[in-house]
Amino acid sequence: MDLRSELGKRLIFFDGAMGTMLQGMGLEAGELPEVWNLTHPKAVSDIHRAYLAAGADILKTNTFGANRIKLGQSGYSVSEVVSAGVWLAKDAAAEKGALVAMDIGPTGKLMKPLGDLEFEDAVSAFAEAARAGERAGADIILIETMSDTYECKAAVLAAKENTSLPVFATVVVDEQGKLLTGGDIPSAVALLESLGVDALGLNCGFGPSQMERFFPVLESCCSIPIIINPNAGLPREDSGSIVYDVTAEQFARDMKRIAESGAWILGGCCGTTPAYIRAMVRCCKNISPKPIHKKNLTVVSSYSQTVRFGKKPVLIGERINPTGKPRLKQALCEGDMDYLMRGAVSQQEKGAHVLDVNTGLPEINETTVLSRAVQGIQSVTGLPLQIDTSSPVAMEAAMRLYNGKPLVNSVNGKKESMETVFPLVKKYGGVVIALTLDENGIPATAEGRAAVAQKIISAAAEYGIEKKDIIVDTLVMTISTGQKNAAVTLDSLRLVKERLGVCTSLGISNVSFGLPERQNLNASFFTMALQTGLDAAIVNPNSEAVMNAYYAFGALSGKDGQCSAYIRHHSGQKREEEPSAGSITLAEAIWKGFRESAREKAREMLKTEVPLDIIHSQMIPALDRAGKDFEQGTLFLPQLLMSAEAAKAAFEILRGSMAGKGETVRGGKIVLATVKGDIHDIGKNIVKVLLENYGFDVLDLGRDVPPEKVVETAVSQHVRLVGLSALMTTTVASMEETIRQVHQALPGCKVMVGGAVLTPEYAKKIHADFYSKDAMGSVRYAQKLFSVNISRERPGD
Amino acid sequence: MLEKEVLRYLGCPEQSADSRLKTRISDSLQDLRKACTPRSVWRCFPLEMGTGSVQIGTLEIPGNSLRKHLRGCGQAVLFAATLGAQADFLLERMSRMDIGLAAVYQASAAALVERYCDECEQKIAEKASRKNLFLRPRYSPGYGDFPIECQRGILAVLDCPRRIGLSMTERYMLVPTKSVTAVIGLTRDRPDGTVSKCARCDSPACPFRKEPNDGSAE
Repeated sequence: MDLRSELGKRLIFFDGAMGTMLQGMGLEAGELPEVWNLTHPKAVSDIHRAYLAAGADILKTNTFGANRIKLGQSGYSVSEVVSAGVWLAKDAAAEKGALVAMDIGPTGKLMKPLGDLEFEDAVSAFAEAARAGERAGADIILIETMSDTYECKAAVLAAKENTSLPVFATVVVDEQGKLLTGGDIPSAVALLESLGVDALGLNCGFGPSQMERFFPVLESCCSIPIIINPNAGLPREDSGSIVYDVTAEQFARDMKRIAESGAWILGGCCGTTPAYIRAMVRCCKNISPKPIHKKNLTVVSSYSQTVRFGKKPVLIGERINPTGKPRLKQALCEGDMDYLMRGAVSQQEKGAHVLDVNTGLPEINETTVLSRAVQGIQSVTGLPLQIDTSSPVAMEAAMRLYNGKPLVNSVNGKKESMETVFPLVKKYGGVVIALTLDENGIPATAEGRAAVAQKIISAAAEYGIEKKDIIVDTLVMTISTGQKNAAVTLDSLRLVKERLGVCTSLGISNVSFGLPERQNLNASFFTMALQTGLDAAIVNPNSEAVMNAYYAFGALSGKDGQCSAYIRHHSGQKREEEPSAGSITLAEAIWKGFRESAREKAREMLKTEVPLDIIHSQMIPALDRAGKDFEQGTLFLPQLLMSAEAAKAAFEILRGSMAGKGETVRGGKIVLATVKGDIHDIGKNIVKVLLENYGFDVLDLGRDVPPEKVVETAVSQHVRLVGLSALMTTTVASMEETIRQVHQALPGCKVMVGGAVLTPEYAKKIHADFYSKDAMGSVRYAQKLFSVNISRERPGD
Repeated sequence: MLEKEVLRYLGCPEQSADSRLKTRISDSLQDLRKACTPRSVWRCFPLEMGTGSVQIGTLEIPGNSLRKHLRGCGQAVLFAATLGAQADFLLERMSRMDIGLAAVYQASAAALVERYCDECEQKIAEKASRKNLFLRPRYSPGYGDFPIECQRGILAVLDCPRRIGLSMTERYMLVPTKSVTAVIGLTRDRPDGTVSKCARCDSPACPFRKEPNDGSAE
């Protein structure tokens, strides 16, 4: 059978379940079905032949869990299990010229940052399986039962980088149509289509009548053939075994409706048998595949949601960009990802739809930092991100590990730019912002800019990148250097939209550079651009004027139904009741845990006092008082932490002011980490906040940190104190090893430990220098060890 | 009721909890309930006592604590439940934004998963009572000398990754983190009144150990 010629001419049928069939033949619960390719080949072969006889066009190999992670402890290699599986299927398929799909299921582990599986380790494991499958003669790669878009991405990349076979991908959703990691169907489709799979769809989870409910949303955003492989209904336990509640006839009737709705490829998953496939084929075989209409949607996605361009104007938050931001620059140089993550969440709270991420600084390794920034930010927000860099290496690394279909900033009309950026967009997927400039500079006229836009679109087409994945930016220059600049930009915008039919975007704030009260110009220019048909704008979500302009336009243009968003925007927020900054001192605000009051108070005090004085006269005394009460048992953890959070907010204001003068706070460096194998970090995070409040410079290595990384950081940063946490007995061994390595590499460095499972005796046994029994313990130890006051430092002193 | 559990996990006595903290707790519970879809899976297996171990279906579990706990049981339910990945996303976000809220959310999530397990146990109990069987309190890997390494077997037998998206790390930690796996013994013997599960556990160093005079009966 030739897939490419049959697809679209007639319906294509997959086979049904293998695992549940094998269970019916004696496979035990928890036993690996794939191993039966080697131990019970006839059983596997018989099942393949039965499905073939029932009318299946494609046989899935018995290799669902045949990856190095699942097979690790089995004593069998991926290569032998996959080869056997593919040969058995091919042998059966040959009879009728059916095709063999190499079945790749999930690793069974959760990806970082949720679990401990590294993205590249997943890619590598899938690559090994895919290569083995192609080598043994599979015709297609089927990636199925994926409940995490990130793992799915790893598998698709692995298949495409290591084989030249067609790639099919199906995901599993719950009753609400969501993947287990929170993704919805449109975001899964955006990701998979952009990665270039040949067909996609749903499998497992439930039966066809439940899966049918999601077909409309799937069909509405998908422009490639759709695969539907449901279970034989829902499983339930009946006298010790699992049974499924839909009959073969019912299954067939349900699948018929799904075929008539437009699915091109149909089969079965758990609980189905050759009888189900036979009934389905009989019922459906004369149905003609419904023609697929291209959807031409300009869409970006995160792990959980999509943002569509062209319907309502999209706000791209611009704050994560070091230009003109000394505090952010400082945070990037220090590797303080927390600062970026907080900035991301706060822009989200202010109404941004997409977040720009730019870490371009000459002082740092942009590739490493941009990747870490993207990973960190996508772990705390579901907003899609705009990967903003002029470094192709940084761009590729970030696009590769981005969990979704990114917005990419940018490509321009220069040959070199297009030749580097387009291949990345083609391979990793994305919507790319196209700047209308080229080797001749920025055209002075609207016609000139439209011509560059056309050039870029035509070149993109040669790479297989469609117009829908290009957003044109007709460039905003400040009117302070050219009175006509705004008009040219807007005329170009109009021309590009009318003539080229693409979405558009602009960096609004540039228009007012060099002029006073910039927000007025920004807001008005924004409105003018929106009226001209602007689809997206890079803005500052903290700017009240700009955001007001956005919501007002929404209401006036009729896009905001019943002005509801406008009204909501102006209705004020519910916030915790706090006293006004005038009525209490900073120390009191901290002591009582009033974060917003502490923040305001710090700002106020900076008008008349220097940061170090504020720290020593107000903040430290308040923290000491809270700490002492905690140790004495009259104050408890929740209150201690509210004080810590208030102090942190005040401290951030002070740091901001100091960064503006090129200064920073120095109180001694401390490395903190949760050890290898451990993913719980609330304790470490609490200690971090407290230590930072006392001015210590905390290098937080995160969780699941190998001993080598702790040592490397401690050595390169000349660190005298390391803090380790571990929650469980199984990870205390990692702690012991880490301590050993640290003491060996840095004899003068002390190690303090904490965590639920530890006791003073155990800490001594593993040669820790100090056992911290509660949140304040580590602060006291650090203070004693360093015994210097917080001081001010200017880098270079 | 749930608030009390949350305060216990936070290490804060009830009388020291002011209205701000109580509001934070109730807001966090509401937030978590909205964001999370708890899931569970369980199956019943025959039970056989070995010397120094227990056999539940095909799983052999070494150690004496579980063995002692299941004395008099002819069957056992292998049970797994999780609040899901959304809880972890929320906690991760809170950790960066507000450490005070993060601690409250942690404690609330822990209380919610235990409450969810209680509700699931109710359902199992109803089904068991129709066969005149009673439930022993759930007993998880990590209690007593029930090895944490047994997580692997329980997750595999129940097909947890596929059924409820529950998996584990290299070092046997459940992920998503707000999850529970347990063995629930089924016995013909009537339960012996309200003895707290902590009193029966051999881990005296556990910081969450409930004292018998806590007032919260099982």
